[in-house]
Amino acid sequence: MMDLKRKLIVLADAAKYDASCASSGSTRKRAKNGIGNTEGMGICHSYTPDGRCISLLKLLLTNVCIWDCSYCINRRSSDVQRARFKPEEVVRLTMNFYKRNYIEGLFLSSGIIQSADYTMEQLVLVAKKLREEENFGGYIHLKAVPGANPELLKQAGKYADRLSANIEMPVQEDLDRLAPEKTIAEIENTMSDIKLGIDEAKSDKAAPAFARAGQSTQLVVGASESSDTVILSKAESLYNKFLLRRVYYSAFSPAVHTDPGLNVAKPPLVREHRLYEADWLIRNYGFTAKEITDGTKDNNLDLTKDPKLAWALRHREFFPIDVNTADKNLLFRIPGIGTKNVARILRIRTYHRIQLIDLSRLKVILSRAKWFITTADHNPDVFRLDRQDLEFRLKPPSTQLSLFDNYAPKVSVITGEL
Amino acid sequence: MIQVAVENSFKSWRKIARDLLTAEIEPNEVVWLNASQQSLFEPSKLETRSSRIYSITPDFIELAHAAACHNSDEKWPLLYRLLFRLIHENRNLLEIESDIDVRDARLMAKSVSKDIHKFHAFVRFRRVECDGQELFFAWHEPHHFTVELATPFFARRFGSMRFSILSPKGCAHWDLKKLTFSPAVEKLSVPDSDDTEDFWLAYYKAIFNPFRLKIKAMKKELPVRHWRTLPEAVLIHSLIRDARNGQ
Repeated sequence: MMDLKRKLIVLADAAKYDASCASSGSTRKRAKNGIGNTEGMGICHSYTPDGRCISLLKLLLTNVCIWDCSYCINRRSSDVQRARFKPEEVVRLTMNFYKRNYIEGLFLSSGIIQSADYTMEQLVLVAKKLREEENFGGYIHLKAVPGANPELLKQAGKYADRLSANIEMPVQEDLDRLAPEKTIAEIENTMSDIKLGIDEAKSDKAAPAFARAGQSTQLVVGASESSDTVILSKAESLYNKFLLRRVYYSAFSPAVHTDPGLNVAKPPLVREHRLYEADWLIRNYGFTAKEITDGTKDNNLDLTKDPKLAWALRHREFFPIDVNTADKNLLFRIPGIGTKNVARILRIRTYHRIQLIDLSRLKVILSRAKWFITTADHNPDVFRLDRQDLEFRLKPPSTQLSLFDNYAPKVSVITGEL
Repeated sequence: MIQVAVENSFKSWRKIARDLLTAEIEPNEVVWLNASQQSLFEPSKLETRSSRIYSITPDFIELAHAAACHNSDEKWPLLYRLLFRLIHENRNLLEIESDIDVRDARLMAKSVSKDIHKFHAFVRFRRVECDGQELFFAWHEPHHFTVELATPFFARRFGSMRFSILSPKGCAHWDLKKLTFSPAVEKLSVPDSDDTEDFWLAYYKAIFNPFRLKIKAMKKELPVRHWRTLPEAVLIHSLIRDARNGQ
C-alpha cells in the first residue's frame, strides 16, 4: 500500500503538464457553516521556480491510462510509477490545504480508466463529496473526458466552476499520429455539450449554476510539426465556436519518460510565450489570427519580437498613428501601448493634447512605441519609420534568446488574470 | 508655515485636511508631522476663512483611502495637494493620469492594493488544538499598513474557523462572529509547525517542472522578502540547484 504522501507526489508530478491554473471568473458566497468562497478574482498562492503560479491543488485521480498518447508521460506504454487516489483522499487533501490558505481550490484530472464514462463518474464523485459533504465553497476545475455521457457532464457542471476538454493538437493528422485514440470531432462534441450547459444556465435564471467560470482547453506545442499559423487559427475557431474562456499552450516537455520516437531537446518556451502573446492580441486587441500570422516566415511567429511589433513592422503603411486623434482600435495597434494605457490616453485627451512626456509618465514602452506615433510635440524618431534599419534598432541583444529568463512573460499573459 | 500632526490613519488625515481647506491653507504652506512623534499644533485652532461645503467625488475618497495605507510619509502632503487641486484647479484632475500628483497617488494606491492581494495569497495558517478546539494562526509581513483592509477577506472565506493573523503592522482576530484588531506583536507568538505542511512541501516540489526554469518570473511574483514567511520557500534553492544539475 502506497502512503498518502507518496500518492500525492506521484499524482501531482503527473498533473503538472496541464498549464491551466486559473481560479478567476466565479463568485460564490460561503455556505453557512461551510468553508470557502470565490470572489471573482483569482489568487496565486505561490510560485515555483518554473515561474508558474500555484492557485489550485492540481492532481490526477490516477495516472493509470488505457490510452497511449505519445506526448503524454502517463500513456499506457510509459514506465512511470502508477498510483490512484480514493475519492475521499483527494477530498481530505483539498480541505486540509484550503484551510491553511495554500490554495483556491482543486483542479482534478485523470488518466482514462475502464472508459470515458467511468472516469468522468469518478471525477464527479470527488466534486460532489466536496460540495455536499464538506460544504466546500472554493474553486473546482474538473477535466471533461472527451466522449463522456452528456448527463455526466451536466453533473460535473453543477459542481465545478470550470470544465476543460483538452484538444491537444490543432489538426486530426497530428492526433492520428500521436494520440490514435483521440479525435477532434469527439473532443469538440464534448466542448459543445459543455457550451450547451452554460447557455442553458445563462438563459434560465432559476436554473442552477453551470461551470460559471466557463470552459478552457489546452494545446501541446512542439510535439507535432504543426505551424503557429495552424495552431492560432484553430485556437481562434475554438474561441468563436465554443466561447472558450482560454486556450492554454503547453510547450512539450521532454520528460524522462518521453517516447523515444519524439526527439525534442528542450521545451520550446519562447515559442509558447509568443503564442500566448498572439492569443492575448486575438482576445483583447481586436487582431485576427490571420493578421498575426500572414507574412510570417515559415508560418511561424518571429521568436525575436512580440507579435504586435512584428505585425507593425510588416504593416508600416498603418503608421504613424496620431495619439491625439486616432480611435481606440487604432491605438490598440501601436507597439508598446497596452489596453489600460489606451483607456488612459483617451481620458487625458479630453483635457489636453498628449505629448511624449505624458506617455513616458504613463510608462508606455517608448523604446518600442516612439517609431510609430506622432504626438503634440516634436517626435524625431518617427522619421525613421520607413528606414530599413528600424528593424535592427528594435532587435533585442542577440544573447537574450537563449536566456529564457529575459523572456519571462507578464504573469497575466500566462494565467489570464487581468 | 503651518505644522500639523497626523496620526497614521485616513480618518486623522481627513479631519486635518478638512480644517486646512476651510482655512484656505495652500498645500505648500503645510508641514505634515507624525503624531506619534510629536504633538505641536492643534489644527482645529485654525481660523475658518471659508464656509464653502466641499464635495469630493467617491473616486478620490477611494483613492485616498488606499493611498493612506502606504508606508511612506509622503502620502499625507501628496493627498492634501491633490485634494486642494481637485477643488481649486480641476475637479476632473484624477482623469489626467499623466499628471505627476495623480500618477504618484495612483502608484501608491496600486502598491497598497497589490500588497492586499499578496496578503490574501501568502497568509499560511497553522493549526493548533486547544481544549479540544481548533485554532488557526498565521504570521504575515505586509509591506504597507494593510491589516484592516486585507483581513475581512479571511473572515468571509474562513468564517467557520477561529483564526488570528499576526503581523508587525498589527493583528486581526476572528472569533466566528466578529473581526477585531490588536497592536503588532513579535513573531514568536505563532506556532512553528503544522501537520499538513509536510504534504504542502511535497506538493510544491512535485508540481515544479525542472525542465522550464524561469527564476526571474518567479521572483517577480514571489518577491524574496516574502520567502521567510512561506514554509515552501525553504525548497526553492535546492529545486533550482537540482534542476540546473539535470536531476
